Amino acid sequence: MRALRRRLDARFDAWSRRRSPASLPVRFDRHRIYVLPTRFGLFFGALLLTMGVGALNYNNNPALLLCLLLGGAGLASLLQAQLQLADLEVHAIGAEPVPAGTPAQLRVHVRAPPGRVRRVRRGLRVQCAGASATLSLEAGTGEAGLALPTTVRGWLQPGRVRLSTTRPLGLARAWGYAWPDMPVLVYPAPEADGPPLPAGQGEHQHSRIAPQGDDVHHLREWRRGDSRRAVAWKASARRDALLVREFEQPVAADVVLDWHGLHPLGAEDRIRRLARWVDEAERASRRYRLCLPGKATIGPGQGATHRHACLRALALLPRQERGHGHV
Amino acid sequence: MAMSEALALDRRSRVWALAAAGACLLALLPQLPPAFAAGCIGLAVLTTLASRRRPLPGWVRAALALALVGMVLSMSGFRLGRDTACALLAAMLALKPAELRSLRDARSLVGFALFAPFSTFLLDQGPLSMALGLVGATVALAALAQLSDVEAQAGAAPTPRARLAGVGRLVLLGLPLALAAFWLFPRLGTPLWGVPERAIARPGLSDEMSPGEWLDLMNDDRPALRVSFRGPPPAPSQMYWRGPVLMDYDGRSWTRARDLALLPVPATTPTDARWDYEMVVEPSDRSSLVALELPGAAPAGARLDHDYSLHARAPLTSISRWRLQASPPAAFEAQLPPFLRERALRLPAGYNPRTVALGRQWRREAGPRGDAAIVERAMAMVRAEFGYTLSTPLPGRHSADEFLFEWKQGFCEHFSSAFVILMRAAGIPARVVTGYAGGYRNPFGDYWIVRNQDAHAWAEVWLEGRGWVRADPTAAVAPERIYDTIDDRANAGGFGALPGVAPLFDVGDWLRRGWNDLVLGFDASRQMALLRPLGLGGTGMRGLVALFAACAVLALAWMLWLAARAGRERDPVLAAWHRLGARYARLGLGRAPHEPARQWARRVAEARPADAAALLALSVRFENWRYARSRDAADAQALVRDLRRHRPARNARPESMP
Repeated sequence: MRALRRRLDARFDAWSRRRSPASLPVRFDRHRIYVLPTRFGLFFGALLLTMGVGALNYNNNPALLLCLLLGGAGLASLLQAQLQLADLEVHAIGAEPVPAGTPAQLRVHVRAPPGRVRRVRRGLRVQCAGASATLSLEAGTGEAGLALPTTVRGWLQPGRVRLSTTRPLGLARAWGYAWPDMPVLVYPAPEADGPPLPAGQGEHQHSRIAPQGDDVHHLREWRRGDSRRAVAWKASARRDALLVREFEQPVAADVVLDWHGLHPLGAEDRIRRLARWVDEAERASRRYRLCLPGKATIGPGQGATHRHACLRALALLPRQERGHGHV
Repeated sequence: MAMSEALALDRRSRVWALAAAGACLLALLPQLPPAFAAGCIGLAVLTTLASRRRPLPGWVRAALALALVGMVLSMSGFRLGRDTACALLAAMLALKPAELRSLRDARSLVGFALFAPFSTFLLDQGPLSMALGLVGATVALAALAQLSDVEAQAGAAPTPRARLAGVGRLVLLGLPLALAAFWLFPRLGTPLWGVPERAIARPGLSDEMSPGEWLDLMNDDRPALRVSFRGPPPAPSQMYWRGPVLMDYDGRSWTRARDLALLPVPATTPTDARWDYEMVVEPSDRSSLVALELPGAAPAGARLDHDYSLHARAPLTSISRWRLQASPPAAFEAQLPPFLRERALRLPAGYNPRTVALGRQWRREAGPRGDAAIVERAMAMVRAEFGYTLSTPLPGRHSADEFLFEWKQGFCEHFSSAFVILMRAAGIPARVVTGYAGGYRNPFGDYWIVRNQDAHAWAEVWLEGRGWVRADPTAAVAPERIYDTIDDRANAGGFGALPGVAPLFDVGDWLRRGWNDLVLGFDASRQMALLRPLGLGGTGMRGLVALFAACAVLALAWMLWLAARAGRERDPVLAAWHRLGARYARLGLGRAPHEPARQWARRVAEARPADAAALLALSVRFENWRYARSRDAADAQALVRDLRRHRPARNARPESMP
């Protein structure tokens, strides 16, 4: 039963799909909004049918009028449901990159066509790749945040965005699809446990300031949170203000994160380890360089932009059919 | 879906669902026995309060439901009828809040509640029921809207007033389609199955009469029929609406002789006077009809009995309309077969000895050919010694004796019953006829109203050469109680007693008649009559379906237009401006939402020099109107006009970019 349902769904997708995803903004075409009764709608319809047949049989006009009024209101509600979605536009869509396995926060921005902003559009349901959220338009614009599940690194096409509503009466569900061409980047998932960062190499020795160490670098004013042991009491007594020692920690040269150095591992394992090292290097505020096969070395560098460049390069490495392939 | 169905109800939705059930139940309650209705209200309040925190346990609900079914059935003497079913529905609806827990429960409660106004209309189609039913349905739709909002997590709920307004808009949107379907959807000429009857009959004329039991009928001033005459109406003293003819007497009550119903209709000699009339009969749940004097022939859907009483083929459960001719007979069944004569003389032994003795005495004094004299003597006695009253003691075993020799006061049932017994004792064939007498002419619309309180019983005696002749002893005593006129009504108190109220009542009834005519009495034959003026009379069902389809399409188009308009820009300047933008959008030069007016105009001007000057001027004017706040109505109108007029130049090709 469920398999049949899935096949039918797939069939319907294929039938209703446009030829290719469209670039933003994408519109929920008025002529491609589908309306079908919900289960409650079917129940309501059966109820009206019973009433109608009974009223016609007894030629009971008030009962027939009641049935027809309810039916008319029901039909009008189908129309209103359709009109709530008609010609809405997804004008922006985006998500911060996340490591595979954690849900990406996809934000879908929807706006009403100009001149139609006064219509009430509340409680619209946005569904995309298995995630769903509620969307209410204020003054013609609105934003929905969806937690999009991610499994593999690389570009994630959110695919079709389904916008649906059962308002105003809950008798029918109107829905439409849009295929925005706006892929979301998914970083590789970092390795859970693994060896620490490789030691630094290269000529660019440098150092960083640390609260502990051997050589005092300088004194600075006390700030809340500084350890009492770090206070330079003598110097403070002289200056009549609390001073704190800061040390210079010699740090090794740039970390080189080299693909080729991880020889026995498979490609995906290497990517995961490198991703972890990128994060660790970032956390340790160390400059790092990423060498990947067939690509120019990235870096050395440090910071959000550099991290993004490295993780992006890792995420977009060609995927192997099997995990143990050789690059 | 399954998740949302199981959604727990918030307080507001709960209140809405309960309000819907309450409003629907309220429509049904006036049609139920008052004590039972009060019980339903009490039960509904109790179950609502008891299940406020959590639903009642299943066994309590089951026990309550069983108890209620038992109670309703025992109330109606274990007969199943329409009213029993409605009482059951009301009881179950009062019990249903006990299991109100999730969204799904609330929806099933509301759907179930919608049956209450429906079943109300099966019992009664009066204006009160219609109004209450409409209110119930509206609140139910509003409750559905609230439930749907909760399911969709649509955020802040609108006020109840806004909610009802939204539902009202939906109903109005659907109204044209509903009305088109109402008048044009093909009706059933004959029902597929019969209407279930009531287990407890409502007061009205029936095939049985026991003296003294009509009191509730005599105090009921609801209309029983409305009659419009084509041509001059008969005099009020001739307005006898003959109903069931009661031939058999068992000492207590008079009943119709059903076994005689299928005898061939006897010959009558009509007089020259003829009345042609149309009569609209309120539902009575019985099949017996009344007709003025003797009907010429049975109309379609009814049958004429041997005694010239009319019976509809099915009980009259809704407004029905009959076209009849009547004429007072010169001779009615002048040849009475011996077995009928014997039947019309039969009296049960051991009842009313003094009346029987008096009848025999009169016969001895009048001689064998003195029938007419005996009748005259009886009428004279009644006129001289008797009075009219509605407050009579309960009759004992010899009801005619008590009435004739002790009370000497009573109303039509006593008069007619005693009179017929007296005639039979004197050897004159006689029978009781029930029906209505008199009527009230409504000056608005020129028609006659016959009310339930005009119910009347009189006698027919068989005289040699003339056949059955009407003899109305009550009219001999109190003609003003029989032939109802405006003056009598004014003297008797009631509606006419206050000056100025009578016209209001007249107009009210006139409106009611129009409503009956247009809505309640509409059926298959009237539907076909609707086609005739359109020239589609001969096409029958096909023409009707085509007309319905055409009207439905029109109604749908109207619905679409109205619904689409609701979200449209109300400000005419903005609307015209948007439409202007749409025209350029077709050329690929639509205004982006963030683009200021003048910047857009400049962009278009670059691409289409032919439109440049006009469009730039318009955009400047638009900006001035929008932001400089020169809200001059005339300016705005001129701007709207110019915006509407402007069209992109036809031949101008977008120039290729340099």
